[in-house]
Amino acid sequence: MRKITILLALLLFAGLQSAFAQKTITGKITSAEDGLAMPGVPVVIKGTTVGTTTDANGAFTLKNVPSNATLLVSFIGMIAQEIPVGNQTEFNISMQSDMKALGDVVVTALGIQRDKKTLTYASQQVSATDIRIAGNTNFMDGLAGKASGLDIKMSSSGAGGSTKAVLRGNKSLVGLSEPLYVIDGIPYVNNKGGQPGSYGGTDQGDGLSALNNDDIESVNVLKGSNASILYGSQGANGVVIITTKKGKAGKVDVSINSITTFDQVSGLPEFQFKYGAAGGSDYSWSTTPGKYQDSYIKDFFQTGISAINSVSISGGNEKTTAYFSYSNTSAKGVMPTNTYNKHNFSFNQSTKLFNDKLTISSNVMFANEVSKNRPGAGYYNNPLTGLYLFARERDFRDYRYNFQTFNKDRNLYQMYWYSTEEKMNNPYWEIYKNPKLNEKYRVVASLKASWDIAKGLKFDIRGNIDYADNLHDYRYAAGGNSVSVSPNGKYDYSKTNDKAVYTDAILSYNTKISDFTLNAIAGFSYQENILNNGMSVNNGTTSLMYPNVFTFANMPYNIMFNQSIDRVIKEGLFGNVQLGWKEMLFLDLSGRNDWASTLALTGNESYFYPAAGLTAIISNMVTLPEFISFAKVRGSLSQTSNEVPFNRVNPWNSIGGTGTPTQIGGITRNTQVPFTNLKPETITGTEVGAEMRFFKGRAGFEFTYYQDISKNQFLSLAAPSGSGYSTYYINAGKITNNGFELTVDVTPVETSDFRWNSSVNLSQNKNKINELISSNPNYYVGGDDEGFASIIKAGGSYNDIWIYKFARDEQGRIILSDKGNPTKTKLQEKVGNANPDYVLGWNNNFNYKNFFGSFLINGKFGRIAFSKTEAFLDSYGVSKRTGDLRDAGTTMAIDAVQGTTAVSQIKPYDYFTAVGDRNRIMEPYVFKRTNVRLAQFVIGYNLPCQKLGLPLKAASVSFVGRNLFFFYKDAPYDPEQTMSTSNSMQSNEVFSMPAVRSYGFNVKLNF
Amino acid sequence: MKKLFIALLFLVALSACTKDFEAENQNPYQISDEMLKQDFNLVGSPFSQLLFNLFGHQVEEDLCYDSWMGYMNTPTPFVENVNNTTYYIRWNSYWGGYCYNGVMSPSRQVIQLAKSNDLPLFATWAKLIRILSVSKLTALHGPVIYTNYGSTANSILYDTEKDLYNLFFAQLDSIQTDFGANKDYKGFKKFDPSFSGDITAWMRVVNSLRLRLAMRLSKVDPTLAKTQGEKALNDAAGLIETNEQNFWVSLLGIKMRVATICFEWDDTRMGAPMESFMLGMKDGRVSKYYQGPNLAQDPSLSIYPYKGIRNGAYCTAKIDRVPFSRVADDFQTVQRRRCFTAAEISFLKAEACLRGWSWTGKTDAKTYYENGIRLSFADWGGKDVDTYIADATSKPVDYVDPKDARNNFTASSTVTVAWDESATNEVKLEKIITQKWLHGFTNGLEPWCDFRRTGYPKIPHVAKNDSSPDWGIIPADGWIQRLPFVTAERTGNAAAVADATTKLGGPDEIGTRLYFAPDKPNF
Repeated sequence: MRKITILLALLLFAGLQSAFAQKTITGKITSAEDGLAMPGVPVVIKGTTVGTTTDANGAFTLKNVPSNATLLVSFIGMIAQEIPVGNQTEFNISMQSDMKALGDVVVTALGIQRDKKTLTYASQQVSATDIRIAGNTNFMDGLAGKASGLDIKMSSSGAGGSTKAVLRGNKSLVGLSEPLYVIDGIPYVNNKGGQPGSYGGTDQGDGLSALNNDDIESVNVLKGSNASILYGSQGANGVVIITTKKGKAGKVDVSINSITTFDQVSGLPEFQFKYGAAGGSDYSWSTTPGKYQDSYIKDFFQTGISAINSVSISGGNEKTTAYFSYSNTSAKGVMPTNTYNKHNFSFNQSTKLFNDKLTISSNVMFANEVSKNRPGAGYYNNPLTGLYLFARERDFRDYRYNFQTFNKDRNLYQMYWYSTEEKMNNPYWEIYKNPKLNEKYRVVASLKASWDIAKGLKFDIRGNIDYADNLHDYRYAAGGNSVSVSPNGKYDYSKTNDKAVYTDAILSYNTKISDFTLNAIAGFSYQENILNNGMSVNNGTTSLMYPNVFTFANMPYNIMFNQSIDRVIKEGLFGNVQLGWKEMLFLDLSGRNDWASTLALTGNESYFYPAAGLTAIISNMVTLPEFISFAKVRGSLSQTSNEVPFNRVNPWNSIGGTGTPTQIGGITRNTQVPFTNLKPETITGTEVGAEMRFFKGRAGFEFTYYQDISKNQFLSLAAPSGSGYSTYYINAGKITNNGFELTVDVTPVETSDFRWNSSVNLSQNKNKINELISSNPNYYVGGDDEGFASIIKAGGSYNDIWIYKFARDEQGRIILSDKGNPTKTKLQEKVGNANPDYVLGWNNNFNYKNFFGSFLINGKFGRIAFSKTEAFLDSYGVSKRTGDLRDAGTTMAIDAVQGTTAVSQIKPYDYFTAVGDRNRIMEPYVFKRTNVRLAQFVIGYNLPCQKLGLPLKAASVSFVGRNLFFFYKDAPYDPEQTMSTSNSMQSNEVFSMPAVRSYGFNVKLNF
Repeated sequence: MKKLFIALLFLVALSACTKDFEAENQNPYQISDEMLKQDFNLVGSPFSQLLFNLFGHQVEEDLCYDSWMGYMNTPTPFVENVNNTTYYIRWNSYWGGYCYNGVMSPSRQVIQLAKSNDLPLFATWAKLIRILSVSKLTALHGPVIYTNYGSTANSILYDTEKDLYNLFFAQLDSIQTDFGANKDYKGFKKFDPSFSGDITAWMRVVNSLRLRLAMRLSKVDPTLAKTQGEKALNDAAGLIETNEQNFWVSLLGIKMRVATICFEWDDTRMGAPMESFMLGMKDGRVSKYYQGPNLAQDPSLSIYPYKGIRNGAYCTAKIDRVPFSRVADDFQTVQRRRCFTAAEISFLKAEACLRGWSWTGKTDAKTYYENGIRLSFADWGGKDVDTYIADATSKPVDYVDPKDARNNFTASSTVTVAWDESATNEVKLEKIITQKWLHGFTNGLEPWCDFRRTGYPKIPHVAKNDSSPDWGIIPADGWIQRLPFVTAERTGNAAAVADATTKLGGPDEIGTRLYFAPDKPNF
């Protein structure tokens, strides 16, 4: 009997074996992100130990695979896949990178790597693909809408311009409240230059434009001070951590990326071209229509082109890896004569020595940027004022082609224009005769040594030097507008350099003792930043000796040459301990003590700030329903301090002027109160958050609620008339920022052919100025800028806008003067705030077989935007609405009262001469700031290189578009393409560049 | 474990090197007191700036008393043509800045440094410049902070004008004594662009200032005025008597403000009252002050040898009046400006004669009057002074604004140049003050004081009067009397300003008369 059982069993077994056909299968595994082959990926038959790994070309072969088997493909950092074998013998498997995986390792402050799930504070990682996908010239523009809590605006000056990025609201009255940028753990100097104001000027750029976007591997945004305490005060406003690409062992990779986009003006103000000026006036207020030229405004702008071409080579073996890249950016702006050219070189290497105990790595980045005729804003020397306000009945073509006329008395060319008004210039004279040059050279070099002392004990030491050379050379020809340019011309020159030396040493220890894990670091850092070190000279309206000669020797004797410098030494001692228990609870304690040179002589040079946080991973503590794959709550508390600016404690005297040939220049004594009890500003940050993931990571959200309280703001005040001084500084004020950040990520569809991932980033920040000076509740910072005022006052918010409104009676009717013009309120009133209420980004990525696509919708909701340009267009009678009103008849409707008589009709001229212009009633020029746009649109195709027989590892082609159109916008300009990236002029424009849309194509090749 | 300990020790030792912090936080391009001690520059070097700050810019001078007194007026309709020039105050805080931040604050340090460096005469000099500055500020606002300047109290009180003038006179006494004891002191030479350190010249300034301030008080306190006036006139150090002795302030290489405003900004032009008086009376100085209209911009103005803008004019478009007469081209290159001239002293003496003051060497009003005119012509380079002085018929003419007839005016003044001994004191006073005003171009504050005190010259009212309860109403037949207290003071030092308003003796409005300009007859 037993024999038969065994035989039957054997037969059964054999039968089972032969019941399903066995075959050999082959396949190739590639990365979905860039189409590259993936070597070393294990492919296993599920339920067995039978398997193989892919070779250098990503190919694998498996023999004797039953048809009912399932292949299991998993790789670190990639989403694991289970593929039934079925009838197939050939498999092309595309692996998705698993950014949201539970065991994700992220780079945090100082380059320290941590497991994301253990973090007690809010941070968000954005991949390089997401940043680069639409080919923005500046990488921060590529981040907009992809990380919650980040409010980003780009300068409207075009390629090479600066950025304004704020996390969690404005915290400082004087400082910029912008995050620290860190590259591979080392702070990167982001020295922002001067910005335009109402009277003119040009964006002087910042340090971020020097980066090569193609070198970026990933970006991690640390949103609050809790995350960045290890960086000290410079991290008080959050940190953007950039990790650059490095070589990988076993792979040699050559990649070429070429992106070309076209830029077009997408929104000009609305003009009328029917009514001219009467009697040769500057103001087009005639009521007799005529047939006038009407295309010269849009013909002034051109289609801009940006071409970014980069190549990178990387490779290495188990001991050494290296990476080299070169990128060339060549752009022409929408304003004629504006160009921007950039070269980027970078090289990094990493070598392991002494049995892999010591790793030496180095990194060099070089950039050269040349920007010509960058557009500015404001009244003076701005081509847009003369262009927009041109008296309609005149012949613009004449002024375009004859922008200069020969002056026989002077034997030189001068500007040909009809008005001597200070803000109106011939636009073509401005762009052709007043060349502007901004050139930057930048080198960042670092050396790191990492020593594995013992198990879990590591010592890192790093040194970095960041050097930039900035040239600003603006030349204004003789014969221009005499209000800003001397009769022989104006030479505005400055040459400065920025040098930052950074070094740190960190000891780290990681160990596991029974249920506890311990990750600890202790370290020291030293940093010296010497910025804006150099000279500048500007003769203004004091005449050069000889016309149109731009050199120092031609400066008149009574022009001062100025030198400037801005120095800070920061030393810090810091430590961090992360204690974990059973992978369920994590306690994070940090502390840093800074010594800052800008507080010398106050006794407050040394200041300490701590942070503490707690994470509980609920999904590891209790058994949750099946669909919840991960749940975590976290909370943290921190206190950061911010040192004060350079040379505020005890400034010396300065030389007041050049003097005369018979008298040396006098001394202007320093009349600022010496501030020897100056304290650092403090920010106390509290945040709580939760993170949950569902359906094995197919969906999830992360939510943070935060509150930051900034105190001891560093304020500069005019000293009272009788005090003996003219200026003094105090520490005062309390500013609160609170709000939330929410990221929701869902992959609604995921099959082997098609994947759709959608993520929403939403945030809201509420800013309140609780108090400035308790003894003087009327004290305010900021002031009138001709017609609108940006006032920071107790009880209000940062960037509150105050204007003159219509004076109205109790019934809300506008009160007219006895001459029939609307009158204005006696005092300015607050009309709203320039910062948005909600910031939203909705990003969608699609993959279908070899096709990929994405679209991003960005919206900013709430509050107001203000347009001085519209105010001028109306008062000059060149706006469409003034034209329409004149078309409609001799009067327009109004709800007004004159004396006691109700008035319902008013002549447009009487109305518009009371509103707008420089500082009249500004109520009609306040718009809703809300705007929602299609920020990015990409559609592309990954070429199947092997099938096509191309000698490439991967290739893709895509069409990209940015700022393609608005779903909703109320302001006549784009508030996110801002006039100024400093604190002032937010959501405001004074003849700044119009909004621009871009579209183009991108080709990527990998060898 | 041992390795860990050593590593930590290493870290601690490296940290906290703060000894270089103070040097690091210093701007090396500034100049410290230590550095200034070389060549003994420390105490004297701020003086050229202190003197420079006795004058202001557009909103302090051009759009204030230069406009009200008809020297200059603006073609630009600032703030919809409603501003200081039409009696609605937009700018009242700026003179305070020049006085307190530009003179009082640095001079406070200079006085301390002079004491600690044992250079007491510099402190004396600084105090004189303070009086020069504050005597201007009080003529603008009335009560000002002077005695309590530098106080650390929460509320810093203002002085009454009466106390101020008494204080000025007392302080001028001690200043003159100090100077008198050190006539040969050479220490100021390097720092003094006005007189190259000549103490005797400064002593003449002290006396001249005393005379000027005394004459200001001649109506409100005739006794005090006479005492102080005669003291100045009798002082052995003398007064500014010749043009070589004129007190000029160096512009330190900076273009004369009126030239900047006129030529670069196109924001100021000749005033219509000056056109009326100078053309009507055939004044040989007119081409030194102004130039003809810009016929290239507006050929229709060729019929006018000079064309000015009415004070407080109706202005709609700036371009209308930009072609009107600008100041003379020379102002673009001058290196200095007039602060106190011999002509003014001569006219003060002429008025002193009328008031019955007496001093050694006194002649008579006619001599001083005619001498004043000659000094003025010589100073400015005016032609045909003899014909001018002899002219008994030429009078100010009516004015016409070719762009807006609302700005026209008929000349109300019938003053002539030629002295008339038989005329009343009132007529004589009008002649003296009118000539003093004509001479005072670019130095207009004192003529504005004279106007408020005497009512002369008889210039027209502003064409457009926008005064309102906001800052005080000026009736159609009235004139602006002062500037309101500085806005920041009204909010930040409110209790003291309330106190100052009681000291002012009237509301803090532009119509409230100042101490030295009571509504009384001239004699």
